[in-house]
Amino acid sequence: MENARPCPPRVLPPVPSGSQDEVPLGRSKRKKVKGIHSLDIIVPDAVRRPFESIGPLTSEAQDAAPQRKRKKKKMPLELESSFTKQNGNFLYPEPVEENLTRKPRKKVKKTRPTESANELGVEDEDIIEEEQVRGSEQQPVFSAPVIASQPVSKVFVEKNRRFQAADRNDLIKTTENIDVFLDMKSSWTTKDVALSVHHGFRMVSLFTHGFLAGYAIWNVIVIYVLGGNQLSTASNLLQQYKTLAYPAQSLLYLLLAICTVSAFDRIDLAKALVAVRGFLTLNPAAVASFLYFVALVLSLSQQMTGDRINLYTPPSENGSLWTPGTEEEILQPWMVVNLVIALLVGLAWLFLSYRPQLDYSEELFNAEIEDYPPLDKEGQVS
Amino acid sequence: MLQTNSYSLVLTLQFLLLLYDLFVNSFSELLRMAPVIQLVLFIIQDIAILFNVIIIFLMFFNTFVFQAGLINLLFHKFKGTIVLSAAYLALSIFFHIWVMNLRWRNSKYFVWTDGLQALFVFQRLVAVLYYYFYKRTAVHLGDPRFYQDSLWLRKEFAQVHS
Repeated sequence: MENARPCPPRVLPPVPSGSQDEVPLGRSKRKKVKGIHSLDIIVPDAVRRPFESIGPLTSEAQDAAPQRKRKKKKMPLELESSFTKQNGNFLYPEPVEENLTRKPRKKVKKTRPTESANELGVEDEDIIEEEQVRGSEQQPVFSAPVIASQPVSKVFVEKNRRFQAADRNDLIKTTENIDVFLDMKSSWTTKDVALSVHHGFRMVSLFTHGFLAGYAIWNVIVIYVLGGNQLSTASNLLQQYKTLAYPAQSLLYLLLAICTVSAFDRIDLAKALVAVRGFLTLNPAAVASFLYFVALVLSLSQQMTGDRINLYTPPSENGSLWTPGTEEEILQPWMVVNLVIALLVGLAWLFLSYRPQLDYSEELFNAEIEDYPPLDKEGQVS
Repeated sequence: MLQTNSYSLVLTLQFLLLLYDLFVNSFSELLRMAPVIQLVLFIIQDIAILFNVIIIFLMFFNTFVFQAGLINLLFHKFKGTIVLSAAYLALSIFFHIWVMNLRWRNSKYFVWTDGLQALFVFQRLVAVLYYYFYKRTAVHLGDPRFYQDSLWLRKEFAQVHS
């Protein structure tokens, strides 16, 4: 470098006119292009010393050439061609150079769509806007690119044998969503299905508990209102209630069956030890299941009376099931039983509402599975 | 290994049959406009119970535990369901025969005796227990442990053979 400074500046070569200089000039340009990684680096030097910069740039290009072979391949043609063209205009304005640079332009244009089809993500440095190149062409000196190059937001997707424009971001999002959905579906095991069914039933039964309590109380109120004080209007009760007797009985059994199963589920009745311990410790679920079971037995025991009420005809009629004077005898215990059922159901609902999340079945189900993982995960047992 | 889709399908079928059974138990006394209606309902109900028993046994046969020869283990674990299913099927058939025999001439007859009332209560109570045990078994058979080799299975195997 010290030797280089005192050297006098080179003498400009005469203006080329023959074809002899074409080949070496073309080589020097090529080398220059190889060595240039980005315009930002080379532009200031080129501006300050347009002729002196050729020497060091070519030496750099020779050193870095093997490392940047790939870069050279990917370098867009516009950049390459415009750069050479500018140099050509600035230094050697010859039509022969244009012919040399046009040939590779076509080749690169053909290869570009295949690259974009293979991968949706486009590197920023691969794309340079045409306006930027034009702008740099018009300017007398090189300048740094002001607008950063960006990939095109539209992607053409083939749908029904037609290419339709789609937004790149949306496409990426939908593909990600599909992947997530497929992962979710594949990870949905039989255990999850079983637990979801269990949760579903528990949710339904939670409503049923409250509905049953309300319905039982409504039923008792209706009976006592229709019966009057001290069953003074027993015949009125029978006349009015006979159409309601069997539907009420049927609905009561349906709701009681669901609630009893739900209460048994919560205490896990099949595990006798757990159930007994629950009863002894007055667990709310155990108490509720006991109350529901007693209510169920009482309700079923009134089936005969319910059918008798359903088939009620006045005692004066022929073939009547009801004899004069027996109405109060039959109705009094039936009303009391209904009252007890309503109280039991209401109490059971209160006990279950005390701890609505209590569910031993699910806890035991989860615990059993976690206690014994499959052998594949932890290796073979010796 | 049990497939999730097939398990969901079987579980749905089992629950539909259980729901039909509960529906008939609840409303069969209401739907007695003609004796033949009750007869058809009862026949379908008994077939549904039988189908449910067959399905649960097919699920047992599909388990790794059964295929490994540990039938006693399965029976021990689900003996409540097996016994109750058999008892409920027998009680249902018996009750249906009795009631239909009494009501065949006229469905509006008051047919209740103490014996029939006791059988009715017993059949309906066992029905609720059957629903609970059957549902529990159907849900528990979704446990992956039953379809693969595991420490639990080897422990149970050792206990059976000791």
